[in-house]
Amino acid sequence: MSPQTTETDRTITLNAEWLSDCSGCHVAIVDLHEKILAVLQSVRIQHFPVLTDIKDYPKATIGIVSGAIRTEHDRQAAEAMRASCDLIIAWGSCAVYGGISGAGNLHAPEDLLKAVYTENKTTSPHPGPSREVSPLRPVVTPLDQVIDVDLYMPGCAPHPTLIFEALTALVEGRTPIATQESVCGRCTRTMQKTEVDCIRRPSEGLPDRELCFLSQGYLCMGSATLDRCMSPCPQNGIPCSGCAGATMRVLTEPNRDIRTEIAERMARLTSIPREAIVKEIERNAKTHYSYTMATAMIGEKPTFLIRQWLADAEADHD
Amino acid sequence: MVRMTLHERACRGCEMCVDICPTQVFSYDRERRIAVIDHEEDCIACLSCSYLCPSGALQHDDYPVVKNFYRDLEFTRKIEKFL
Repeated sequence: MSPQTTETDRTITLNAEWLSDCSGCHVAIVDLHEKILAVLQSVRIQHFPVLTDIKDYPKATIGIVSGAIRTEHDRQAAEAMRASCDLIIAWGSCAVYGGISGAGNLHAPEDLLKAVYTENKTTSPHPGPSREVSPLRPVVTPLDQVIDVDLYMPGCAPHPTLIFEALTALVEGRTPIATQESVCGRCTRTMQKTEVDCIRRPSEGLPDRELCFLSQGYLCMGSATLDRCMSPCPQNGIPCSGCAGATMRVLTEPNRDIRTEIAERMARLTSIPREAIVKEIERNAKTHYSYTMATAMIGEKPTFLIRQWLADAEADHD
Repeated sequence: MVRMTLHERACRGCEMCVDICPTQVFSYDRERRIAVIDHEEDCIACLSCSYLCPSGALQHDDYPVVKNFYRDLEFTRKIEKFL
């Protein structure tokens, strides 16, 4: 891009919209910091809630949509974006997979409203909203269940470096570099075989700073998670929670699953039996599958039996 | 012939590829703590190492495609659009 680019050269127009999400994906675009100036040389930003106050949906070349489809408003906004944009990018794990809102699919919408408003144990009961707030749809879905999606950018939020690469590639008309490596690919912890024989909860003990979490008996989803983050969590003492979704092999091959992939590796690194690891992940499936359970790529796998796992966990607890 | 590539920066040094390879293609560099492709010519492209590798650091090229896995075509088309 030439620094001499003038206003009239900025032929690429950009709309963005946020649906049911935390807004972090849009903040990640703002996190391009001064690099955003390079993008702005070629792109004119229009409807973009975190940056502009344009309420309608002007015609645009590129449309960025983050967030899951949870409410009726989400669906309408997604359709308005599709109608106004030539190319739609599902932006962030919520739009690509349904994200953490997807865990709501384990309960009926009425039960969710009841738990939040009328039977909430930590505040005084109050009837749920009946006007001005969009009603919940029966299930949470990724964006591509309601509109056609041209490109997907997973990540929670996608790392600004990858956002910059994706946006500049689109502007320059080339294919962006998209790695298939997992979070382990950038983690610098040493993966080595140990004699650890039981799974440790995140609250138990203080993990070694240099050694792989799996080697220490802590569940870490890095080896089954696509790297769209540059591995900040394991590098800073927090096991990976799988926020960018599963690796491409897990997503495309129905016989592969997050829990068995992790268990296979962890059982080889430690003395913990593979079955015990699988069982532990199943017991906390709402946590370990929270980002991806709303997508058919994970949620409709023949091996994904979350309701049964949760019932088993409850029976064990009783 | 099968060509193998090991992305050294991504290799975590877990030695799992060394353990699982049925034809002893790999050796292990204890000093650098990474796997080394020693006998590429012996690779039978079973892809066991590549599937087990925690970081996705191993890549195979020019191997005969045997349809030994089931892949969802719709999801594969979707993955091609991943940025």
